[in-house]
Amino acid sequence: MKMSVDKDETLQRLKAAVHYTVGRLCQKTGEDHRREFSRQVVAAIAETTFRQCDIFAKDLEAFARHAKRSTVTAEDVKLAARRSTALSIYIQNKSEELNQEQKDLKKKNTGKRKSRETEEESRE
Amino acid sequence: MAEQSAEIGFKKDTVSKLLSCFFKEEKTKLSGDAALLMAEMLKIFVQEAAVRSQKQAESEDCDQVDIEHFEKILPQLLLDF
Repeated sequence: MKMSVDKDETLQRLKAAVHYTVGRLCQKTGEDHRREFSRQVVAAIAETTFRQCDIFAKDLEAFARHAKRSTVTAEDVKLAARRSTALSIYIQNKSEELNQEQKDLKKKNTGKRKSRETEEESRE
Repeated sequence: MAEQSAEIGFKKDTVSKLLSCFFKEEKTKLSGDAALLMAEMLKIFVQEAAVRSQKQAESEDCDQVDIEHFEKILPQLLLDF
């Protein structure tokens, strides 16, 4: 019983966090186009985003399980973004960006591999 | 300050907790990369919702974006994600 109450509270907090970010993103869009977003529309977008999260989570979990994994990876997210070509390409580029950043971090940490990686970059 | 406004988005921790709450099985985990990518995906989702609603309001010559504008773009938005 106590656990479900805790979980409920966590969900409410997460919902509030989503609402806050949605509000800021809407404000930004509004500023760019000189239009205001009403409080109700921000709340509606926040609620929709929250429910979309539920759908995403269940999809990701199913994809991971299908690949016989218990951890959701970037590959699963790429699969979740398959419905729109532009989104799919965007997510794939982001994923590569993240990989590159991690490579760069490693490069900083281990100076030895530096010469080899710059060689690879120049080939690209 | 300008840099800060350019980086409005969901936090990795928030996304990670949010998705973990919705997983059916407790043993399912989320990798760091996946959380960052999902944060990006949710940001796009919200931006699409906002921009499409804004355009709908514009086409109806309204100064304020209201729930009726969002209602009109919602079906297509959900089909695109």
